[in-house]
Amino acid sequence: MVAQSRTNYSYLIGAVLRYAVLGIGLSVTLLPFVYVILSSLKTPSEIIQIPPTLFPKVPTWQNYTTIFNDPKVPLGLFFFNSSFVAIARVAVTLFTSSLAGYIFARYEFGGKGLMFAVIMAQIMIPFQMIMIPLYLILVKLQLIDTLWGLIIPAMIDAFGIFMMRQFIEGIPRELIDAGRMDGASEFQIYRSLILPQLSAPLATLGIFTFMATWNDYLWPLIVITTHEKRTLPLLLTWYSSNHGSRPSLTMAASVIVLIPIVLIYILFQRQIVANAATTGFK
Amino acid sequence: MASPGSVRQSQRRFAYSVMTPIMLYLMLFSLIPLIWAIILGFFDYSPARVGGTLFGLGDSNPFIGIKNYVDLFSDSQPATVFRKSVVNTFLFTFLIVPLNLAITLPLAIIIERSHTRVKGFFRAVYFLPTVTSAVAVALIWGAIYNPQAGLLSDLIRTIGLTPPKAWLSDPQAFVMGIPLAMLALIVAHLWQDFGYNLVIFIAALQGIPQNLRDAAKVDGANEQQMFWYVTLPLLQPTLLFVCVMTILSSLQMFILAQVMTKGGPREQTQTILMSIYQNAFRYQNMGWAAAMSFVLFGIIMVFTLLQFRFLRSDWEY
Repeated sequence: MVAQSRTNYSYLIGAVLRYAVLGIGLSVTLLPFVYVILSSLKTPSEIIQIPPTLFPKVPTWQNYTTIFNDPKVPLGLFFFNSSFVAIARVAVTLFTSSLAGYIFARYEFGGKGLMFAVIMAQIMIPFQMIMIPLYLILVKLQLIDTLWGLIIPAMIDAFGIFMMRQFIEGIPRELIDAGRMDGASEFQIYRSLILPQLSAPLATLGIFTFMATWNDYLWPLIVITTHEKRTLPLLLTWYSSNHGSRPSLTMAASVIVLIPIVLIYILFQRQIVANAATTGFK
Repeated sequence: MASPGSVRQSQRRFAYSVMTPIMLYLMLFSLIPLIWAIILGFFDYSPARVGGTLFGLGDSNPFIGIKNYVDLFSDSQPATVFRKSVVNTFLFTFLIVPLNLAITLPLAIIIERSHTRVKGFFRAVYFLPTVTSAVAVALIWGAIYNPQAGLLSDLIRTIGLTPPKAWLSDPQAFVMGIPLAMLALIVAHLWQDFGYNLVIFIAALQGIPQNLRDAAKVDGANEQQMFWYVTLPLLQPTLLFVCVMTILSSLQMFILAQVMTKGGPREQTQTILMSIYQNAFRYQNMGWAAAMSFVLFGIIMVFTLLQFRFLRSDWEY
């Protein structure tokens, strides 16, 4: 009896401790987000006031209206740039990954093993190793300072091909044979029999490609030189270095850039978290 | 119906018509750049000079043998900065890995034991920083570290202590011999990054069969023994994978340092990738920068191969 109650007691302490740790972790994780939102609602004088405040005394939208009305910051244009690059890269990656994944999963041809090895070797080559020659190639192709320069070098994704191949290997061969019986061309089989089965892995690959592209910084920093062609992360660093004396503006600009990606995360949270461990997203 | 032979031929034709452009593409955007990068490391190459006909090499961009590599050890200022960036990057990496594990492993065990609904909620929130733009993270943490009006200094003052006079810009500030600015970057990096390893650990813990734990319990193992003798050994492959992935990403640290400290104060947070970027694209000294990137490539390769070596064994239970 005594032992029993002691077990309950220690179980209770354990549970309290566990939730305390989880709660501390939660506040540490969320505090920077809360902080940036609250700071973006402060007046320029309040944000540099000493001692500082956490909650704005009188919340104001003025930082946001300043950004929206700044003729040097046509936000629509920068959102277009980032979206264009991200959507183009997602579309191309999904197409090439599913098509090549299908070929590797279901076709036999000479050189298949070698070609697969060549593609998988991409995973081993870190981007920083090839970025200098890649830049020189883009100069030759006259793609420097264009949005295409952010899309064209990233049209083949080795991880995507691998992932699609794994998935397509699970689709019964009978389906493809039936398609051939009906006289469908090879591309038609891919298009109307294989592709519709791939919605789950394509969605996963698409979300991760979108997020990686949306947050990409180093390559756009190298390729883009004209202000009007900047993507949102480039705009953000440019904006912050031009408004160093007004941190509330930088905080508002950060919130504007964060909103789309956080919305996407909230929408697809289950899929993103469940697949993060397996897709090698990073 | 077409004969089996012609069917197979049309299949082959389809396969090659897809794979040929992909292979040509990879040649142009991966293989040639890789070889080119290695060759560049042996030339004094700047895109500002018109060189020979082949890739602009030769003439005013002369072949200099291994001088680029030898120069990495010279007394010149950029070489000193590069060597400092190598030391910083290693220090950075070997602080990040244990700190990351010390946070993510216990947290994963706690979350894994919670109720399903609670588990999903905490996992989702903890993963949020990993999907946010690193540039925004750098700016937000830059504001948190503001010495006068920032959140951190204010918190420290609230509990009655004196905050350091600057978190990111005081070259004299050290904690146990580690520059304060680097520790500040590490904290921001851990905050953004820990959700990734956490999710991997949770997935691995869920993969441990319940009957193994039950068996240990029947044998009278307590919680601690369970962790050290059951959970941890079974997690070993995951631990290795997580370590290597964290090492690889830390070795390529760029955005946080570039945006928050620009490598300062006095190059105390300069990373290898920043050195490569600056020498290649700011000073147009691409041959030398290519040599640097080959050094980083070599370091990364060592860890990648270690991963393959340790992860080859398949675990079954």
